[in-house]
Amino acid sequence: MSHGREAERVLAVSDLARVEGEGALRIVVKEGAVEDVALRIFEPPRFFEALLRGRSYAEAPDITARICGICPVAYQMSACAAIEAACDTSVDERIVNLRRLLYCGEWIQSHALHVYLLHAPDFLGCQDALELAARDRPAVERGLSLKRTGNLIMETIGGRAVHPVNVKVGGFYRAPATEAVAALADPLRRARDEALVTVDWVSHFEFPDVEADYLFLALRGGDHYPIESGRIVSSTGIDTDAAGLAELVVEEQVERSTALHARLEGRHAYLTGPLARYMLNRDLMPEVARAAAEDAGLAPVCRNPFRSIVVRAVELVVACEEALRLVESYEPPDPPAADVVPRPGSGAGATEAPRGLLLHRYELGSDGLISSARIMPPTSQNQLTIESDLKRVVEGGLDLSDEELTWRCEQAVRNHDPCISCAAHFLDVNVERR
Amino acid sequence: MTHRVVVAGIGSELRRDDGAGPAVVERIRRLGVPDDWALWSGPAPLDLLGLWAGCELAVVVDATHNDGEPGTIRVLEIDSASVDAGQGRAPGSTRGLNSTHGMGLVTVLQLARVVDRMPPRVVLVGIEGDDFGAGACLSPAVAGTVDEAAKKVFELARQATCMGGT
Repeated sequence: MSHGREAERVLAVSDLARVEGEGALRIVVKEGAVEDVALRIFEPPRFFEALLRGRSYAEAPDITARICGICPVAYQMSACAAIEAACDTSVDERIVNLRRLLYCGEWIQSHALHVYLLHAPDFLGCQDALELAARDRPAVERGLSLKRTGNLIMETIGGRAVHPVNVKVGGFYRAPATEAVAALADPLRRARDEALVTVDWVSHFEFPDVEADYLFLALRGGDHYPIESGRIVSSTGIDTDAAGLAELVVEEQVERSTALHARLEGRHAYLTGPLARYMLNRDLMPEVARAAAEDAGLAPVCRNPFRSIVVRAVELVVACEEALRLVESYEPPDPPAADVVPRPGSGAGATEAPRGLLLHRYELGSDGLISSARIMPPTSQNQLTIESDLKRVVEGGLDLSDEELTWRCEQAVRNHDPCISCAAHFLDVNVERR
Repeated sequence: MTHRVVVAGIGSELRRDDGAGPAVVERIRRLGVPDDWALWSGPAPLDLLGLWAGCELAVVVDATHNDGEPGTIRVLEIDSASVDAGQGRAPGSTRGLNSTHGMGLVTVLQLARVVDRMPPRVVLVGIEGDDFGAGACLSPAVAGTVDEAAKKVFELARQATCMGGT
């Protein structure tokens, strides 16, 4: 909706399409200048953190998995990592590998969904995935096939594709049979080929020539590209663990949103997610993924948010290759879970959700009940940076029509694959020009 | 594996009555179903595309939000024309493209049609919700209709499979 005035314009876009979840974006342009950019998120105030208080430490993975239907494994893995840190529990390497395999499944299905059905239509002049499917059905079929492989991994390891039921603090309820895991190899080889085609496909899209001076923050893996564990590093030299990051990040309540806004100490906005992971861990990629990135013309550091689709495609290759490696070397963990003895204290854990770093921190009482919980979803952490991107887009597009500018803004939001469901529950998009 | 009947409950169990669909599917699971049925519940119906391939009947159980009497059950046949008209839209959604369930049901149905995965028969069992706020429990009026909704799903499946000549 547009209210044209002599000195000010008001744009109101009531729905932000192709973003997971719902939310609102409000942009005010007054007398030719951007007056305000606000990504508004509506959330029952910290509902899940409150829900967790008084619940058993063992319930954290299952409760927090319900926050998001797209990345439940991320919530389960960060919850397990934090509770295990609080209980000073270490797990067998075979359990770590099985967790990583499950997580690869989530990366594959989430990235395939975003690249093919949510993001690619922006670059191909399609209104949505339906129009893309009508114009290029093989491409959409390829995306759906990749997504199915991701789901298959989650079903095999986690018991089901949505909200896996096999995960527990300490590991798994049951180790999947060797034959069941081995059966993933052929679908994964196909998926790896499809992922390589995906990289080539998206690398030929046309990208706006923009760059942003992001402060990147991501896990840094040991020997492998970071997914389920690692130190936390940044492009500015931060090197800490999950507990350290919890201390470094300041979360603020702002009037326009019930979700908290995260800044690093020193008031810096930062970016987590594929661009950050890629910049900070490119050397840890499997060779096939690094070669695909080079063939796609991806520089070692990518600061163009629109090219995040290429990085996401490269990460599809990473996840397929890693999953294949883990399938081929699979040994069922026995026992499938470490003993976890709850004790009073606190612990933090961080893992890489497909859309960025997800941190959990819990305090446990002597009774094994959670006395406090803190969850920092990637979308909350990226929110200020997304707003900065939007401001840049609006400033550079003031001469565009309301419709065109609105679309550009939506693209700028989609570049970061925000999962509003993780940070909030209902989001409407409103862009105003006055 | 091809499933003859696919029953899906769409919704979030942590948004009170939005969890009506998953609650009905859970009830059906406990009652027991034939081997050639698939039961699915979750917030993202896009994953149904894989399950629908080759099925005879797809039943989607979902909460509705039409300012009606809470707990009212509506059974709607979803045909190609109603997909065009936007029927089967996820509850609480003001649009087809997205909803609290990610990609909305109507979009998934439209996509299924484009990629030839539209089941020959799709039936929506809608349960009018009362409270879609944060919380894990269904409101009393909705909780009281879970058994009846499950019964309707079994009736639909029996009719469909009988007509199919078993």
